[in-house]
Amino acid sequence: MSGDNPLSKSAPARSRSRETSRPTDNRPIPRRKESAVRRAPFAQLIRISTFVILSSFVLCPSSFADDTVSFNRDIRPILSDNCFYCHGPDPKHREADLRLDTLKGVTEDRDGSVAVVPGDPDASQLVQRIMDEDADFRMPPPETEKHLTSEQIDLLRRWIAAGAEYEQHWSFVSVQRPALPSVRDAALTRNAIDYFVLAKLDKRNISPSPEADRVTLIRRLSLDLLGLPPTPDEVDAFVGDTRPDAYERLVERLLADPHFGQRWGRHWLDQARYADSNGYAPDGERTMWPYRDWVIRAINRDLPFDQFTIEQLAGDLLPNPTLEQLVATGFHRNTLINTEGGTKADQFRVEQAKDRVDTTGTVWLALTVGCANCHTHKFDPIEQKEYYELYAFFDSTQDQNSTTPTVSVPTAAQQTQLEQLNRRIAELNKQLAEPDPQRPQRRAEWERKLMETAEPKDLAAIVAKPFDKRSKEEQAKLDQAFERADPLRGPLQVELESLDSKRKDLAKAIPTAMVMRELATPRDTRIHIRGDFLRPGDAVQPNVPAALPSLIEVALRSDATSAVPSSIKRATRLDFANWLVRPNNPLTARVYVNRVWMRLFGRGIVETENDFGMQGSPPAHPELLDWLAAEFMHTGWSTKKLIESIVTSATYRQSSTARKELARIDARNDLLARQNRIRVEAEIVRDVGLAASGLLTDKLGGPSVFPPQPDGVYAFTQVQKSWRTSAGEDRYRRGMYTFLYRSAPHPMLTTFDVPSLNQTCTRRDRSNTPLQSLTMANDEAMFEMTQALARRVLSRTGPLTRPIPSDLPSSQDTESKQTDGSMEPSYSDDDTPHLVHMFRLCLAREPIEAERTFLLDYLNNQRQHFSAQPDAAKSIAVGDWPADVSPADAAAWTATARVLLNLDEFITRE
Amino acid sequence: MNSDRMEQSNRNEAQNGPRRRRVCSGPLCHALPGGARLNASTRREFFGQAGLSVGALGLAALLGRDAAAAPDDRSVNPMAPRRGHYAPKAKAVIYLFMAGGPSQLELFDEKPKLRELSGQPPPPSFLEGKRFAFLKGDETLLGPYQKFARYGKSGATLSDLLPFHRDIVDDICFIKSMHTDVFNHGPAKMFMQTGSPQPGRPSMGSWVTYGIGSVADNLPGFVVRQSGPRGPRAGSALWSSGFLPTTYQGVPFRGQGDGILNLNSPAGFDRAAQRAFTDAVERMNQMRFDAVGDPEIQTRIAAYEMAFRMQASAPELMDIGSESKETLEMYGAEPGKASFANNALLARRLIERGVRFVQLYHTSWDQHGGSESLEQELPLRCREVDRGSAALVKDLKQRGLLDETLVIWGGEFGRTPMGERRNPTGRDHHVDSYTMWLAGGGIRPGMTLGETDELGLSITQDPVHVHDLQATILHLLGLNHERLVFRFQGRDFRLTDVHGKVVQPILM
Repeated sequence: MSGDNPLSKSAPARSRSRETSRPTDNRPIPRRKESAVRRAPFAQLIRISTFVILSSFVLCPSSFADDTVSFNRDIRPILSDNCFYCHGPDPKHREADLRLDTLKGVTEDRDGSVAVVPGDPDASQLVQRIMDEDADFRMPPPETEKHLTSEQIDLLRRWIAAGAEYEQHWSFVSVQRPALPSVRDAALTRNAIDYFVLAKLDKRNISPSPEADRVTLIRRLSLDLLGLPPTPDEVDAFVGDTRPDAYERLVERLLADPHFGQRWGRHWLDQARYADSNGYAPDGERTMWPYRDWVIRAINRDLPFDQFTIEQLAGDLLPNPTLEQLVATGFHRNTLINTEGGTKADQFRVEQAKDRVDTTGTVWLALTVGCANCHTHKFDPIEQKEYYELYAFFDSTQDQNSTTPTVSVPTAAQQTQLEQLNRRIAELNKQLAEPDPQRPQRRAEWERKLMETAEPKDLAAIVAKPFDKRSKEEQAKLDQAFERADPLRGPLQVELESLDSKRKDLAKAIPTAMVMRELATPRDTRIHIRGDFLRPGDAVQPNVPAALPSLIEVALRSDATSAVPSSIKRATRLDFANWLVRPNNPLTARVYVNRVWMRLFGRGIVETENDFGMQGSPPAHPELLDWLAAEFMHTGWSTKKLIESIVTSATYRQSSTARKELARIDARNDLLARQNRIRVEAEIVRDVGLAASGLLTDKLGGPSVFPPQPDGVYAFTQVQKSWRTSAGEDRYRRGMYTFLYRSAPHPMLTTFDVPSLNQTCTRRDRSNTPLQSLTMANDEAMFEMTQALARRVLSRTGPLTRPIPSDLPSSQDTESKQTDGSMEPSYSDDDTPHLVHMFRLCLAREPIEAERTFLLDYLNNQRQHFSAQPDAAKSIAVGDWPADVSPADAAAWTATARVLLNLDEFITRE
Repeated sequence: MNSDRMEQSNRNEAQNGPRRRRVCSGPLCHALPGGARLNASTRREFFGQAGLSVGALGLAALLGRDAAAAPDDRSVNPMAPRRGHYAPKAKAVIYLFMAGGPSQLELFDEKPKLRELSGQPPPPSFLEGKRFAFLKGDETLLGPYQKFARYGKSGATLSDLLPFHRDIVDDICFIKSMHTDVFNHGPAKMFMQTGSPQPGRPSMGSWVTYGIGSVADNLPGFVVRQSGPRGPRAGSALWSSGFLPTTYQGVPFRGQGDGILNLNSPAGFDRAAQRAFTDAVERMNQMRFDAVGDPEIQTRIAAYEMAFRMQASAPELMDIGSESKETLEMYGAEPGKASFANNALLARRLIERGVRFVQLYHTSWDQHGGSESLEQELPLRCREVDRGSAALVKDLKQRGLLDETLVIWGGEFGRTPMGERRNPTGRDHHVDSYTMWLAGGGIRPGMTLGETDELGLSITQDPVHVHDLQATILHLLGLNHERLVFRFQGRDFRLTDVHGKVVQPILM
């Protein structure tokens, strides 16, 4: 970047000479006055200006900029990157008392000098200082290693010349639904989304990519919406569906599939930092899966995102909260708990509360509020005091580095059982409580018999004693024995006792979920000086940052609408949650739709999906983002409708194949002239393997499970975890149900970029490493799938005669067929249909000819290899194979299945 | 963009030496803004800009050792060796982490006065404002259990518990004035390894491999081994890559077998079958690349090739039986046994093969008293590590590797001069002063930095904070801790948070 620019090229050289003569840190502060009297000689100024004009002439054609300078698009990034650190919102860190982030600050008369004179760049100090010949005076100072390019200087000049208008940062402006732009060829559009994308492409004379073929589309949709590949039957049905709305019907079916909630629930669980253990050193197990299941259910029934938000952040403060709403508050109970000996509960309670502030800021607002924990934010309008005002919402919960408070969450079966027990116990109690005038008589009779028979001895001994000689315990024992022995009521009593003990056992088995509960009396929340909770500063009340819409109106709640104790007079989490999802909140909807977009395209419209502040990247399609956000709120915050509108767009349906002609113009595919290829997430890597092999257990929810994992994982943890490897159906559950220990997650998940689980994760990495290769090729669980896939194909019943189309599209290198004639492959009749079926189970599509030929060759070579090595073949061909399949055959097919499971395409959504 | 900045700094600093920039007054502010926007998943860019026919280059870069010339080599091969900000003194690090917090008062820091006042309460002024994990505040001073003497030309103090260390005192540098911020094991270990007491930040080894890659072309760049009765507290958070791409996370080499998970092909697949498998996957992937042009496929082809080679190189690496009898004897290593000595020897073998950062943990240095006693347990720990630690330094020196290998020895904190009331009396965690040692890789040999007061409670001279040590380690590797940054959630993060200064006196 800087290499194109002679100004910045020479800068290091000049700063070097100065470096030797001047001490480092302490640039004299009163530079303002010095420079006020010192103006650059006029001639010099002209020289520089000429240069600037020349170079901007060279540079401008390559820039995306329009002719008009936009503050938000062009100017704010320059100021934020280069100036705000010392001349921004933080007063403690402000140099020369000059702030450049407000019009007031920048136009202030400072002893006759003004940083910016709107309309007059040459009279503006700012312009003089950024162009100063003398590096000692030029801004930004050399030691910041920041250089303005001549293009940037030119932009600043033009902005000042045009009146130096400040716009509010784009993400703080409330959402307005933009009008659809006009496009050259409306036939290329399918819905509103496409207008915004196409309008940009039109400007650059780029045509969008053609729609992907149907097989690619159904696999893309299945992976994106369900995290599972389509079955060959589903592919055939879709490809053969000639109805005009076949695609829309497919989308509708997938959105209604319960797997949708698991797929999209997992995205949310990343943000909730969900795991099954407490974290830190001991990392003991915790029961959080009821919260996980709540998320899945909420997404499956399309709980509107505003409600989804309120229930998770403040479900406990809703009027008469349901059990579900309490479980939902588990969102913020996913913080870590340190149970190490010698820990101070206050320290970790504060850490957990701060994590809740930071996580809320990142997840809902995409603001880095955590930066203001210790000092006022350097770039965004969040003062340190405001951080603690946010913190005050989360400071008064009952949990104190503890598992409690919790609620019992019986399963449906447990609930039924519990109700039956309760009902019968109530009945029995009622019967036993009825008046019983005959009782003394029966008692006397019973005691008499005891005396006579002298059996049982212990009771007889008590009866033998005079009443006043019996101890309390003896009398009680006697009474109790009669309760059971009473011929009339004894059976009832025995049943009651048995049911009572059953109920106790049941209560123990019922899972509990960690929930949020508010203290009746709020804590005295104070600013922590420099972020240190042992150094309390001024008291603060719960509030939201002044740069965002105010909280006031929602704080006026009536007791009828919430379960907030009347002792709490200040704003609560419920007020805060309501505030987050009010239509005038400029961030929540934008942030959410942007992340949904990111899941479906691999990158958000705002690339820095977790930073919508000044340092974040601006939206690539700002109007589209606003349209989506407006539409989202308008349609009742429905996630399913949002996803539906995106995946039915022509933009989404494009082919993802790279386009050479765009490699230079739009290398990162910002303009969306095609789809992107995306490697699926760790859990989905497992899921596609289970689905292809036919092993998948299709079951929703419940306690987390323990699929096989390599030995030795816990050699590195303080406490040896018990990995109770699941048998039966739990061995083959979807990846998202794998038990998550924070200190040692399942290595397969970690290898494929499952996040650290210790803090919120809004976007995962997608790495591509040799350890992934070893996992796919050799991991016990993966190899089990490999074998199962081969078995599945060879055990297939029904016709194998599906015709192989003769006109398969051929790849560029069909000549790959071996021509040396050394070994004429001899295929068994069934090989080709078996292979094609296996291929379709893995990749949905059919192999092209070159692939088919290559794989059949490989299969045959492996057959020969394993025929020559019967022992090796036998060690692979374990389990139940059809009787007519030889070990060598089974091994060769397993080897072929192994190749397919290891293809890049297998774990990629195209 | 990050690498642009690194190159930029590199140019400047090569000419001027490291400089300090204006520092922030707040404790949690950060390096200057403007780093890379998104650093992961952007491999496409390089290929995209260079056109689509560079698959072969990607492969070459991934497999070759000299990929540093690529414009943003991290996007082609994240582990490619890269220049840091200036010329490095050390090329590799071996960090011997004594997990639990060894007692400096029984090993290195002799306090006759403490012995003299044993059993008396400490002067109240010594305790003002201090927090401890388990002490109640009414404990009395506990005299050291061990005898001390001076050794070597440098006259370094050692207790009788570390006889093998006598041979290396002139090769190593003691820092007796280490201090840290947190007094619980998990957070303190994370603080030492990641610069933050809360989980989620990248480990030192991750920062280093992110910064300068690794020259090991068939082994991971950051390897973790552990010995002792249990794993270190906090587990994988200690070698996690945090928000850095997971490529940079430490790879635990397990005690048994071939060390790397899933290294062995399934039963029935011999080397030839594995070769055929790798070739087939590669060929099929190549066909897909020809059809769709996604450079990510090329990266995957290369990853399979590297995996295939690791299958051969890792077992060879782990087989210490190939070492000479003298070497095994020097370490006290026994092939096939799980021990610190074996791990120390393995560490040398790892760095010989180009691995950048080797992190060893030896656990159970937590001598609170009772069953974790200073009389019984501490000498056992010392016997387990003394010989291997000294042998590592000697061995590296003999092989001419010590100059470019930084060896670090120490725990997450030290132990209190006051006794903790257990039977027998032990010592609690102490964050205000403890001892570590460093050797090689540009560290001044045969010196001691820092002093503590007569009781060993507080530092009286040359305090070295954990962030200072981290800054120094990065510095020796040619990395400026203020410039090695990663943009995450809108902020530029560093290993040293907003603190840390290079400890100049211990540099050669």
